[in-house]
Amino acid sequence: MRTITNFLSAAVLTAAFTLTAAAQTPAGIPRTADGKPDFTGFYEWPKSDGEQCHCSATIFDRKYIAAQKPGGEPFLEPRTGIPRHDEPRDFCMPAGFPSNMLSAYAMQFFQNKNDLVMTHEFERMTRIIPLDGRKHREGLEPSFYGDPVGHWEGDTLVIETTGFKRWSLDDYFYTNNKEYRMHSDAMKTIERIKYKDAKTLSYNLTIDDPKTFVGPWSQEFTIRARPEWEKTGFVEYFCEENNRCPGGHCGADGK
Amino acid sequence: MKKLLALPLLIAGLGTAVQAHHSFSAEFDSTKPIKVTGTVTKVEWQNPHIWYYVDVKGEDGTVTNWAFSGGAPGQLMRRGVQRNSIQPGMVVTVEGFLAKDAPHNANGSKVTFPDGRAVFTAGNDEGDKKKE
Repeated sequence: MRTITNFLSAAVLTAAFTLTAAAQTPAGIPRTADGKPDFTGFYEWPKSDGEQCHCSATIFDRKYIAAQKPGGEPFLEPRTGIPRHDEPRDFCMPAGFPSNMLSAYAMQFFQNKNDLVMTHEFERMTRIIPLDGRKHREGLEPSFYGDPVGHWEGDTLVIETTGFKRWSLDDYFYTNNKEYRMHSDAMKTIERIKYKDAKTLSYNLTIDDPKTFVGPWSQEFTIRARPEWEKTGFVEYFCEENNRCPGGHCGADGK
Repeated sequence: MKKLLALPLLIAGLGTAVQAHHSFSAEFDSTKPIKVTGTVTKVEWQNPHIWYYVDVKGEDGTVTNWAFSGGAPGQLMRRGVQRNSIQPGMVVTVEGFLAKDAPHNANGSKVTFPDGRAVFTAGNDEGDKKKE
């Protein structure tokens, strides 16, 4: 009798948990053949709530950024007078992650049971994220976009990326060029992606950089589906096509 | 009649950032807004920034060719500004901020057409209030 009671109790609890979990995922979202949420499609770049126009690159809100670690690596990169160091984008250097992800352009995701491929119209960023919960590759050279690996937590895709080189965190440099906001080579990012509704993704981004900050910090963004952008697809982006900043000096005459 | 207008514009939050390949604050002077009207002579709809050129006739009849830089084509397309939005021969009024080291070079922001329509060509839309 006690065994039957225990079984029924467990069954009730399991059903309750399942219903609760299911209730958190909106109905009608696309799913792959193995039942996972399918993020394939065109999207606009992640935006923070409260912006009126949403026409510009998204930057991190100061209120979410953790305090700087005393004696740690500088959050704001001091200028040296060397153009390639001070203004690397004048030399068509990459934006890196997460800065590129937050740039004001289209994104297109491709998903199968093995990988999620994120492409971004800005600089044609491409991230290939394995979804089988594997560990990070070893012995890699630090890079601008790092080494991402993904796993599922229910209907939430969790992507951890490590292996970065020290580079700019976001595009705040273009708000104030005295504040080139940086991350160190110790940064790990954690993205949590899930459907808010059938046309909107919740994109939670955690910055865990023990060399720069006293602790990890996170900001929530919204990614809206833009299926209508399928008609034109991506615009090409080749920075050197008409770069007017050769050698780090920018001008209409390109000198 | 084409006029050269240089009105002191007070636009809150304007020009704090340019999604550009160079720093707005390093290349353009946010204290020097400009507003000119003239005829488009050339459009370069290319990465990393579009450039468009406008012949502006001064009050003395002298024509000066102004050069304006804007955001990238993909970025502009995502907010509804297309390749054919600005064409040679069009009469436009351009608002923006002067380049620091060139007298007739500016960051082109708002472009207004004779019928009152306007497009925003800067990397950062002047209406965007950035949360920092």
